Amino acid sequence: MRCAEVRKLVGLYLDSELDAKTSFEIQQHLGSCLECAGLFEAEKKFDERLGQFLRHGKSTRSLWERIEARIAPSGSRRIKALWPLALAASFMIAAGVIFLARLRPLDLANAVEECHSAYAHQITTPEFSGTVPERIVQQFGGRLDAEAFAYRSSEPAFTSSGARLCHVEGVPVALILGHCANIPVSMIVLKKSELDHFPETKRKLESGDPIACSRSGRYQFAARVVDDHVVCVVGDEPRPALEDLLKTVRRADG
Amino acid sequence: MDREEQRDRFLSLLRPIETDLENYSRRMVFDRRDFEDALQNAVLRALRAFDRYHADASFRAWMFKILTNEIFTINRKRGCVAQFEIAVEPEEMGEFAGPDSPSELPLSWETLADALDEELMTALQTLNDAERAVLLMRAIGDLRYREIAECLAIPLGSVMGNLSRARQKMRDAILRARRRSML
Repeated sequence: MRCAEVRKLVGLYLDSELDAKTSFEIQQHLGSCLECAGLFEAEKKFDERLGQFLRHGKSTRSLWERIEARIAPSGSRRIKALWPLALAASFMIAAGVIFLARLRPLDLANAVEECHSAYAHQITTPEFSGTVPERIVQQFGGRLDAEAFAYRSSEPAFTSSGARLCHVEGVPVALILGHCANIPVSMIVLKKSELDHFPETKRKLESGDPIACSRSGRYQFAARVVDDHVVCVVGDEPRPALEDLLKTVRRADG
Repeated sequence: MDREEQRDRFLSLLRPIETDLENYSRRMVFDRRDFEDALQNAVLRALRAFDRYHADASFRAWMFKILTNEIFTINRKRGCVAQFEIAVEPEEMGEFAGPDSPSELPLSWETLADALDEELMTALQTLNDAERAVLLMRAIGDLRYREIAECLAIPLGSVMGNLSRARQKMRDAILRARRRSML
């Protein structure tokens, strides 16, 4: 390897991100090139010092005790002392639950909200358009298929700018990024079998409603089952508009 | 596994990485007052989703992903919208793999050691969200590039590009501080 090639890979080499063959070739080069070896050593020290600075700081014990107390409330005495209050609160909660249940977003709507929000804020951008690249297919892990990326809406106002693979609560999904009259709209497609991860949405879709609607944050959400997939559309659009859009969704190859 | 056992298992995985999560949160939030909320929300959220965590996956990467999402949400509420770089395709990775010329490299450990922590802190603030998140996930979280890409839902090439730019900016800031101290 030449010096220029080796130096291009300094970051990847020090982060152990290179394959064994390239690492070995670099090691060999460093063994015979004093200048590169010196540069790599300097870069390594810089990285170590920067890491020391960034990692510097102790954990705040009181903070973690507070956090752990919230997830593992302890002390039955405290609970006993608070039981009248808890009883009163439980009545209030029970009364509120019925009301809030209607407002609470569906689990899948909640899960995909961040996905769409990232797109709407231009954090997420398309990775490809057209055929799904092989490197993406390899990341499916048998839990998604290329057909999931083939869904399109026949609604003329909807235009797609591309797609990418995303994970929602650990579930791989096809994220088709589009616009409807200049408003960002995400189309999210997952395998129907993955609905087990979203029991509320599953229940809703299996209850006879062809379309499950919900609102999460500022975004409306609508989902329906198409063939072996669940297709969701999310956007800052009125619910009827999203439902209409969803009804026109078909698989391009179907 | 009942709820109690699940909680105990969650805590046993969480405790060894508490310091790293706290340091990451402190350096990622726009408003220092938010770092506790970010941590607390992230931990509660992670516990709720713990039954969906796969034991063969990295708990560290999983927690950093949840915390990062929480921080971005909080930062957004503060009106600070994360601006990520345009995705970089793998074929372009070479451009971001390392410094372009040897002249960018020679920065001695002594130079760095002399730099004031405030200078580093200021330099850290000049990084954009993507650069800061990638740098901190690598340096504090010790995450692999692929794990960082998954956490941030960005391509691997963007991780490399952002990391390379972040390190370069930190290096430049230290050199500037060094020059100032010599005046």
